[in-house]
Amino acid sequence: MKRLNRRQRVLLGLGVSVVFLILICVAGILSGEAARVTDFSRKNLAPCGKYIFGTDWLGRDMLARTLKGLSLSILIGILAAAVSAVIALVLGVASAVMGKWVDEAITFVIDLIMGIPHILLLILISVALGKGLKGVIVGVALSHWPSLARLIRAEVMQLKESPYIQIAEKLGKSRWYIARKHMLPHLLPQFLVGLVLLFPHAILHESSITFLGFGLSTEQPAIGIVLSEAMKYLITGKWWLALFPGILLVVIVVLFYVAGESLRKLLDPGSVHE
Amino acid sequence: MKRKITAIICCAVLAAGMLAGCGRGADKTETGQTGESGKKGQVVVTMPVTSEPEAGFDPAYGWGAGEHVHEPLVQSTLTTTTKDLKLGKDLATDYSVSEDGLTWTVSIRDDVKFTDGEPLTAEDVAFTYNNCREKSTVNDFTMLKEAVATDGTTVEFHMNRPFSIWPYTMAVVGIVPEHAYDESYGQNPIGSGRYIMKQWDKGQQVIFEANPDYYGEAPKIQKVTVLFMEEDAALAAAMAGQVDVAHTAASYSSQEIDGYGLLAVQTVDNRGFNLPCSEPQEKDGVTYGNAFTSDINVRRAINIGIDRQEMIENVLAGYGTAAYSVCDKMPWYNEECEVAFDREGAKKLLDDAGWTVGSDGIREKNGVKAAFTLMFSSGDSVRQALAEDTANQLKELGIQVTTEGVGWDTAYERAQSEPLVWGWGAHTPMELYNIYHTLEGTGIGQAEYSPYANETVDSYMDQALEAGTAEESYELWQKAQWDGSTGITQEGDIPWIWLCNIDHLYFVRDGLKVADQKIHPHGHGWSIINNVDQWAWE
Repeated sequence: MKRLNRRQRVLLGLGVSVVFLILICVAGILSGEAARVTDFSRKNLAPCGKYIFGTDWLGRDMLARTLKGLSLSILIGILAAAVSAVIALVLGVASAVMGKWVDEAITFVIDLIMGIPHILLLILISVALGKGLKGVIVGVALSHWPSLARLIRAEVMQLKESPYIQIAEKLGKSRWYIARKHMLPHLLPQFLVGLVLLFPHAILHESSITFLGFGLSTEQPAIGIVLSEAMKYLITGKWWLALFPGILLVVIVVLFYVAGESLRKLLDPGSVHE
Repeated sequence: MKRKITAIICCAVLAAGMLAGCGRGADKTETGQTGESGKKGQVVVTMPVTSEPEAGFDPAYGWGAGEHVHEPLVQSTLTTTTKDLKLGKDLATDYSVSEDGLTWTVSIRDDVKFTDGEPLTAEDVAFTYNNCREKSTVNDFTMLKEAVATDGTTVEFHMNRPFSIWPYTMAVVGIVPEHAYDESYGQNPIGSGRYIMKQWDKGQQVIFEANPDYYGEAPKIQKVTVLFMEEDAALAAAMAGQVDVAHTAASYSSQEIDGYGLLAVQTVDNRGFNLPCSEPQEKDGVTYGNAFTSDINVRRAINIGIDRQEMIENVLAGYGTAAYSVCDKMPWYNEECEVAFDREGAKKLLDDAGWTVGSDGIREKNGVKAAFTLMFSSGDSVRQALAEDTANQLKELGIQVTTEGVGWDTAYERAQSEPLVWGWGAHTPMELYNIYHTLEGTGIGQAEYSPYANETVDSYMDQALEAGTAEESYELWQKAQWDGSTGITQEGDIPWIWLCNIDHLYFVRDGLKVADQKIHPHGHGWSIINNVDQWAWE
């Protein structure tokens, strides 16, 4: 078989991860009902032909619960990461474009939020908003933007010094015109990659705070709930309750990471040599 | 990129290694390495972390009393409850109540000393009760006007209103020494009970030692260590042979541990759910009532449409008894509460009441769907399983039940319009009062936890409290449940559905004889060591 060149390998990685993620989402949406159905006649079954991930103490199919949980996580991740990335973009650009005072204020907020441990901030926001889906999404969205915002700010600062921007300024173009026409297109790759790389963080943090009991409600088949319930039964030897959902969560996170890195290599080939 | 993936994999392997390390560590620990467990004259008992008394061992702040009532061990009480939940005596030698029910006179023993050597007098008793009346938020002392010591061994309780079951309150209040009582009493309690609290490592354990000067029969167990831990940790501790008695749950009951047997204790630790009895209406931003469950036929159908035995097998692995009231097996229980499972009868009730099955299999009447949300407290796997099984069983009747895990911060308010899975069960008939008696100023003129009001039921309970003695009141409490024409049973208003009493389960080390237990109340904690002084090693 012919060896693939780097670009093809990268494309393959990106393609495989995106397809796999979409598959999980679709499977999760399809197994929505099955994930909640309890049947005491089939409780605590070890993995077998019919239930390949086994069943839990309420007789729920762990495969359906895992898929549903992951798709829920992915959806929350996408939503939260998108909001977070937009906040980062707006603040990053504003910080660099709107003068010194605004820049200092925004930099201060970035430092402030980065100074507080993510998980703590998330728990605070989520609990303040009454937990549940809304609390988690808002929590993740409001706590994940600073690093990307800082990156974008630095990029804009650099752009501001480039000759074509300075010429545009001399020509009397407004700041917003320059930001819109000259800077945004340049920032897009950074933004997209940053966005994709936010997903795994968002997903991990969503499952973490749900695991800790500050996130989604117990009856929802979220991956954090699945894992925290499984903890109670590990001691009795029901390994399948935690193993498969745990492994799949890691796989998803890695896939998002692969997708993000591949995208970066495609959009910004120079970064490969860094 | 590759390096990062390698890093992630390494982390996972490291984490797995650490977990495995923990497991092995527990295995290696040999029996009795903690010092006390398995030794004659000593026991090590586990309890849920929630059993640790936050404010210490002070009866004014809930020690022994409140929701999870038990004997205070460190202190003596005036009365006690016997195995069949009738009344016995501890410090009291005699007690009586005046004709009008407003004065209780109690004579106490004169040979009792606190563990600091000072004698226990009627002054101490009066001080304890007056102190509780002022401070207690856990127990209700509003009926007590004042406690007065008339001489060294006689104390009088002057009441604001008659309260016939006062001796049940006297069975949970530990007597504290007036001379050695201050705000830090809970941390260093001095009492006259069977045990002395020797050491308390907060968040971990409490160690009790037998009181050498105890006035009653000398305790057979000299040292009791109580460890606070979750059920899975307790199971691990038992597997490692580190404890003598480990509390456990039905979901672990099938585990076989070498050298341990399973002890199941009957309880009145019941689980059930409320069915709001009124039509929905708003008041101060809270909805009271539920359009579906306000129909009495619906409530009756649900009560007989649930197969409690199947539920006990499914959820509790058989370790439980069917519950038909909040006070099953208590002396004040009315057996009329019991119903037989009858799914067809339940369907007929719904049919006759006009709830017709729609195309989706769910009943409907005048545009109201036969559906409700059944809430349970998040993280309580037994309540969750009961809710799920209820949903499955009611589906057979054409009722759609959605389950939802909620926190206690919102549960009380939502329970005014939606059913919630509750746990109750105490050694006093006041439990009936708390659930079914209307409470002034509550909601829409109703009982405290769920919209329900019945004047006849109220009046029986009021009469019961005014009856001369606790024993005389039993019949009135029974009438409050069902008097032949009205009440809270199937033929009555059935505002609450009771599902099961959960057996309290323990892994007990072979050779340890745990003395016969009285029916445990709600709470899987201190009750087991109520009579630890009578346990024995064989």
